Amino acid sequence: MELHLNRVDYMQVGVTSQKTMRLLPALGRKATQKVAVADQDGVVTCFGMKKGEPVPVFKTLPGQKVSRLDLGGALGTPQEKIFVCSGSEVRGFTKKGKQFLTFDANLTESITAMRVSGADLFLCASYIYNHYCDCKDQDYFLSGDKINDITCVTSPHLARTTPVLACQDRLLRVLQGSDLLYDVEVPGPPSVLQLYNKDGGEDVLYGTADGKIGLLKMGESSGLSQWEIDNDKKKGGVLCIDTYDIIGDGVSDLLIGRDDGGVEVYGFDGSGEPALRFEHVLSESVTSIQGGCVGKESYDEVITATYTGWVTGLTTEPQKAEVGPGDELHMSKETQTKVAALRLELDQLQSKVLQGRERYQQTSQSSTAVSAVPVFSINDKFALCQDDASYSLTLEVQTAIDNLLLQSDVPIDLLDVDKNSAVVSFSECDSEPNGNFLLATYRCQANTTRLELKVRSIEGQYGTLQAYVTPRLQPKTCQLRQYPIKPLSLHQRTHSLQQERPMSRLSLVGQFSLAEIHSWVGFCLPEVPEKTPAGDTVTLHFHNTFLGTQLEATYCKGEGHFRSDNISTISILSDVLSKEATQRKINLNVSYDINDESVNHTLRMIHPKLEYQLMLAKKVQLIDALKELQVHEGNADFLIPEYRSILDEAQHLMDEYKKQPAHLERLYGMITDLFIDKFKFKGQNVKTKVSSLLEILDNYDLNSLLDFFSEA
Amino acid sequence: MLVPIFTLKLNHKINPRMVTVGKFDGIHPCLTAATQAGKVFIHNPHARGQRPVAHRLSQSTQDSDISLLNINQAVSCLTAGSLGLNTTGDTLLVGSQTNLLAYDVHDNADVFYREVTDGANAIVLGKLGDIQSPLAIIGGNCALQGFDYEGKDLFWTVTGDNVRSLVLCDFTGDGKNELLVGSEDFDIRVFKEDELVSEMAENETVTSLCHMHGSRFGYALANGTVGVYDRTSRYWRIKSKNHAMSIHAFDLNGDGVVELITGWSNGKIDARSDRTGDVIFKDNFSSSVAGVVEGDYRMDGQVQLICTSTEGEVRGYLPASKELKGNLMESSVEQDLVRELSQRRQNLLLELRNYEENAKGVTETDSEVGVIPANTQLQTALSVRSTTEAQKAHVELSISTPNETIIRSVLIFAEGIFEGESHVVHPSAQKLSGCVRVPIVPPKDIPVDLHIKAFVGGKNSTQFHVFEITRQLPRFSMYVMAVDPLVATPTGRVTFSINDRSQRVVMWLNQNFLLPEGTNSPDVTFTSLRGGGLLSISMASSGQITLSTNDIDLAGDLIQSLASFLAIEDLSAEVDFPDYFKELRTTLTEVDEFHCVHQKLTAAIADHSNYIRNMLVQAEDARLMGDMITMKKRYRELYDLNRDLVNEYKIRSNNHNALLARLKCVNQAIQRAGRLRVGKPKNQVISACRDAIKSNNVNTLFKIMKAGAASS
Repeated sequence: MELHLNRVDYMQVGVTSQKTMRLLPALGRKATQKVAVADQDGVVTCFGMKKGEPVPVFKTLPGQKVSRLDLGGALGTPQEKIFVCSGSEVRGFTKKGKQFLTFDANLTESITAMRVSGADLFLCASYIYNHYCDCKDQDYFLSGDKINDITCVTSPHLARTTPVLACQDRLLRVLQGSDLLYDVEVPGPPSVLQLYNKDGGEDVLYGTADGKIGLLKMGESSGLSQWEIDNDKKKGGVLCIDTYDIIGDGVSDLLIGRDDGGVEVYGFDGSGEPALRFEHVLSESVTSIQGGCVGKESYDEVITATYTGWVTGLTTEPQKAEVGPGDELHMSKETQTKVAALRLELDQLQSKVLQGRERYQQTSQSSTAVSAVPVFSINDKFALCQDDASYSLTLEVQTAIDNLLLQSDVPIDLLDVDKNSAVVSFSECDSEPNGNFLLATYRCQANTTRLELKVRSIEGQYGTLQAYVTPRLQPKTCQLRQYPIKPLSLHQRTHSLQQERPMSRLSLVGQFSLAEIHSWVGFCLPEVPEKTPAGDTVTLHFHNTFLGTQLEATYCKGEGHFRSDNISTISILSDVLSKEATQRKINLNVSYDINDESVNHTLRMIHPKLEYQLMLAKKVQLIDALKELQVHEGNADFLIPEYRSILDEAQHLMDEYKKQPAHLERLYGMITDLFIDKFKFKGQNVKTKVSSLLEILDNYDLNSLLDFFSEA
Repeated sequence: MLVPIFTLKLNHKINPRMVTVGKFDGIHPCLTAATQAGKVFIHNPHARGQRPVAHRLSQSTQDSDISLLNINQAVSCLTAGSLGLNTTGDTLLVGSQTNLLAYDVHDNADVFYREVTDGANAIVLGKLGDIQSPLAIIGGNCALQGFDYEGKDLFWTVTGDNVRSLVLCDFTGDGKNELLVGSEDFDIRVFKEDELVSEMAENETVTSLCHMHGSRFGYALANGTVGVYDRTSRYWRIKSKNHAMSIHAFDLNGDGVVELITGWSNGKIDARSDRTGDVIFKDNFSSSVAGVVEGDYRMDGQVQLICTSTEGEVRGYLPASKELKGNLMESSVEQDLVRELSQRRQNLLLELRNYEENAKGVTETDSEVGVIPANTQLQTALSVRSTTEAQKAHVELSISTPNETIIRSVLIFAEGIFEGESHVVHPSAQKLSGCVRVPIVPPKDIPVDLHIKAFVGGKNSTQFHVFEITRQLPRFSMYVMAVDPLVATPTGRVTFSINDRSQRVVMWLNQNFLLPEGTNSPDVTFTSLRGGGLLSISMASSGQITLSTNDIDLAGDLIQSLASFLAIEDLSAEVDFPDYFKELRTTLTEVDEFHCVHQKLTAAIADHSNYIRNMLVQAEDARLMGDMITMKKRYRELYDLNRDLVNEYKIRSNNHNALLARLKCVNQAIQRAGRLRVGKPKNQVISACRDAIKSNNVNTLFKIMKAGAASS
C-alpha cells in the first residue's frame, strides 16, 4: 500500500530537546488535537490550528531548559495534564495553562528522562533513578551507566508498574522496587523507549543511537526479542518513536524520527514483521514524533518537532493543486495573510536589530565596556560506526553554519560524506611546530544547519579532535567543541565474551584507588561510564569493531587485569597505562602473560577479511580492462567464466570497493603492528624486518605469513 | 515536478565531455559519444537495421541501435555539425592528441583527416568573425587552429597555455562570433579572429564554457566552480565540492530565458537561473555525468535536454509546460516562502537576543564565554620578508590584538594562492598570544583578496569572537626593494614610452608592490623572492620606461598591469632577452630534430608491419603443413619482433612527448612576445611571429620578437 504524506509547517519555537512535544487528546466532538511543545528557552507552548493558522492556547515565561515533556492525569481519565521537567524541577500544567504542580526532586543533577503514570512519577538524572508516588519518595536505583530514557510496562506477570531504563552501556534494565529485576542487551546504545501499546502492556520498542530499532516482550524474568530492524543504509540515530495507525489498516504503525532528519513509517505485514512504508527527510534532527490529527479534521498526520523548534506535520491531506488563469503564482488567502504578517514582523524586527547593532557598535568606543555574546547551542554527536570502524561527527546549530574549522593533534583521516555539501579545504600543517596533524575548513552552502563528517582513527594514536563552529549570526562568534580520540578508539562495549579464544594478559599492581584505575580505563577506551561503578571489582568487556578481537578489563583497588586475544591491544594498553601512572607518580608493577597462540589466532581472524579485500581489489582492477575487451569483441562469450562473472557483478564489486576506502591499508597496518608488538614483548626490535613483511603481504598467503611470524 | 520523458541504458561507457548530437543524414538526430578503446558510438534509434556496414563503421553486436566507429586512438574531443553546404547532413569531427578526423557518417567517408601536432583538447564548430565558411576550431597545447570543410587551416593563433575549453559567441555584440578560450593558466581569453580582445582571470583551469544568450556565457572550473559572465563581468558563481563535468544552456522552465544546466561528477544535474544562480531543478544519476546536450530526439518538434552519465545512462527532459509555472521541484513555493521568512525571523530574533544579553552586561567573569573588551580591534599588516635560515622568503601577514586577549586561530580564505581555498594557523595551546604571523607565498603574480577570520578570546575560552577582515595582497607582492650586490644585473630588458607623468607610475608602483613608506620615485630596483633575480624599473623624463629583468613572463605581467592602470590602448616595445632567446633558438633546432626522428620511426614501423604480415603467413603455412618446428621458429621470431615493436613504440611516444613539450615552448614564446606589447602592436607581433614560424624563418622570428612587427 502506497502512503503519501505532504509536509505542512505549523509553528516554530525555540531549540527543542528529545521528546518534548506531545499531542493532547482530542476533546469531545472536536477532532483536531492541540500540540504541547517545550523548548530549551524553558517556554511551554500549547497551540491548536485554526484555518491553517496556529492559535496559541497558552505560553509560559522563559526559564530553565526543558529536557522532557510528558502527559499524565488520573488513571482512567484523559491524559491531558502537561508535565515538564527542567533542571531538577518538575512542573505540571493543566490544558488551559494553569500551573498546578511544582515539585523539586532535590537531585544534584538535572533530570534527563521522565515518565508520568497516574500518581506515579519516575525521574532519571544521568545515573540515578527515582520513583515518587504523590510526590513522595518511593524507590531509588543507581545504574551502571547513563540512563537515556525510561518507560513503564504493566503486565499480568509483573506485580505492578515496572520501570524499564535504557542505559548507555547497551542494556535495558528492568527494575522491581529499588532492585534490578533483570537486564536485556540490545544491539546499540539505546536512546529512546516507547510502549508498543500506548495503554500499557509488556511490549517495549527501543531505538538506538546507531539507528537500530527493535521490539522486546518484557517477561517475568527476561526480555524476549520479537524483531529487530538493522541499519544497513547508515541512517541517523533514533531519537523518537511513536505508534499510530496512519496507514489506516487497523494495525498500529511505527513512526520513527532520526537525528539526521529522517522520518519513517513502518507498517506491519501479515507475519507481524515491520516493513518500510514511507520515508521523508527534514533537514534537521527530529526530536519528537507523534501520530494524530492537528491541521484538519479527519486527516491523520504525523507530527514532528525538530531541533530548531519547527513543529511540522506530514499529513494525509492531499496538497491543493492551485489552478488558475495567468502565469501569476496563486497563493491561498491564508498564506497571503500569513506572509504579510510575517513580513510586517520582519520589518519591525529589522529596525530593532538595527538599533541593537548601533548600540553594540557604540560600546566599541568605550574603553570599559566588554563584549560577551551568549553561547549558542550546538547539538553534536561523535560516535563510532560499527560497520566501517570510523567515527561520524555530526554538528547541528539552530541557524545556518558559516564555516567549520577542524583541528586534530593526532593523525586521522577525514572521509568524504555524500550528504555533506560543504566545500572542504585542507591546510598544510607540517610547516609549523604546533602539533597539528589535521587542519581543515568546511565552508558551508547557504542554509546548512547540520553537518556530518567521518573521521578514521588509528588505534594507539590518541589525542583530541577540535571543532570550531561559526554560525551565520551577528555578532559573529565561534564555539569550540572537543572530542577525545582514545588510544583504543575502535573498541566498543559488549556484554559477552568468547572464552575459548587464546588470550594474553596484562596485569598491573600498584598503589592506586579504584577511581584512579577506572579513570585510566576511561581514558583508554570509549563507552566507559564516567562515574566509578559501585562495588569492589569492575569487569568490562569490549570488542574491536574492525578486527573482531576482544578485550576483558577486570580491576579493583590496587590491581588491574586486561585480557585480550590481540596482543596489539595489550601493547597499547600497557604503554598508555604506564604513561598515565608515571604522570601521577604512581609506581606500577606491570606483568605480562603472552600467549603466542593468540598471534596466530588473530592472523587467522584477519585472514578471511584480508583475502576478501585482496580478491576484491584484484577484481576491481580487472573490470575496466574486461569491459574494454567486451566492447572490442562485441560480447563476453569468449572469456573464462571467472572473468564473465566479474563483468556481471561489476556494479556490485565497485560499490563494495567504494564502501570501504583504504580497508586494505588499514589491515596491513594492523598486521604490521601485530608483528612489531609480538616481538616487542620478547624484547626484540623488528622494525627493520617490516619491509619483508610487506613483501609477504603483497603476495599474500596465510601459511607464509604465519611462518614469517613464527620464524622472525 | 519535472520528470524525464525518456530514459535509455546504452551499455557503453561514455567519456566525459565527449558527447554530441548530430543529424548525420540531415533528418534524424543521433546521440554520438566517445567510449572506451578509442571508439565512438552513434546511437540511432530512428532507422533500425538500415545501416550499411563498411569502412570505419561497424554495428555493435550488443545493441542494434548503436553503431561503433573505430578511431584507434584515444579520442580527446568530438563534435558534430555542418561544415559546408556540400554534404547532406552533419559532419562528425573527432579529435585526438595527434589528429583531427572529419567524417561523413551518412556517406561513410572521411571528409578530411589532418595531423595536428598540438593535439586537440577541445573542439567547437561554427562561424568565426568574418571568415566565410564555418570552421572546426580545435584548441591544443597553447595553439588554436581552425579548419574549413576541405581541411585547410584558415585560422591559427596561440594562447597562453593548454586549451581546455572553447565556445563561439558574440561577445562584443557586433553581430559576429568571437572565440572564447578557457585554458590551464586559469584565463578565459576572447579572440576576435586572431586578435585578443579580452582576458578574464579565474583561479583554476577553465574546463568548460558554454554560450547562454547575447554576450552572456557560462563557465566551469576544475575546482568545482560554475558561474555566468556577461562580457567581462561575472554575474554569479557557486562552488561545490564536486566537479562540474559538463555545462549547457537550455530553457528548462519554459520562460524564454535559458538556464545554466550543470552535470556534476557525483551524478547530480542542476539547472540554475542565469541571473541569480538559484537552483530551479535538480536530478540525480547513479554515476558521474558525462555530457549534457540537446536535440529533438523523439522527432516531435520539441527540443529536449539530454543528459548522459559515464555508465551510459541517458535521460531526456522536455521543457516544463505552462502549468508548472516555473516550479520544477517537488516543494511548494508557498511553503518555501513561509519557511524562509520564518527562518529570517528566527535569525533576527537570535541576533536581537545576542545584543540584549550583551547589553545586560556580564556579571560573572566566566572566561569560557570568551568575554573581550568591547574596543578590541584587530591590526593587520603586510610586509615582505627575505629568506632567512629558518624560513623561506614570504609575505608576512601579521595580525594582533591591542590588549590581553589572544588569537586562538586564524583562517584565511583566498583564491589561487593556497593549495585549497583556505589556510589555517592554529597555534598550540602553550603558544597562544595576541599576535599571529602568517607566512604567505603567492605562487603567481596575481592580486588576491585575503578574507581573514580571526578567533579572538581568552586563553581558556570555548567561545570566541570572530573578527572578519578583508585585505588585498598586491599583485607583485613577492618583490622586495633591496639589492644584493652579489646578484648580476639582469641582461633582459624592455623599453617603451608612455605619455604620462611619473607620479602616475609611482601610484601604480604603490598599488601593485609592497613598498616601504615614502617611495616617490619611479626608479626602483627589486629582488624577486621566488628566483632571487633582480627587477629594476627606471623612467626617463621623456616618458621612456626601461624594465630590466631576466624573467620574460614578469616583464609581460608588468607591462599588462601598467598599461591597464594607465589605460594605454596601444603600446609597442623594444625587447631583448638574450638568455631566453638563446634557449628558444635551441628549442627550435630540437623541434626540427624530433620531427626528423619522428619521420624515421614512422618509416620503420611500416617496415615492421610488412615483416609481421610475412611471418604470420609463413607461420600459418607451416602449421597447415604440419611443420611444427618451423612454425615454432616463426612464432618465436614473431614474438621477438613484437617485443621490438613495443620498444619502438615507447621510443616513439617519448619522442612525441618531447616534441609536444618543445612545440608548447615555441607557442608560449610567441604568446610571451605578444604580452610585452599592448593592443594593435601585440596582435601584429603574434601574427608576424606565426608567419615566421610557418615559413621556418628563425632569424625573422627573433627580429620580430625584439623590435615588434612594424619594423619588418
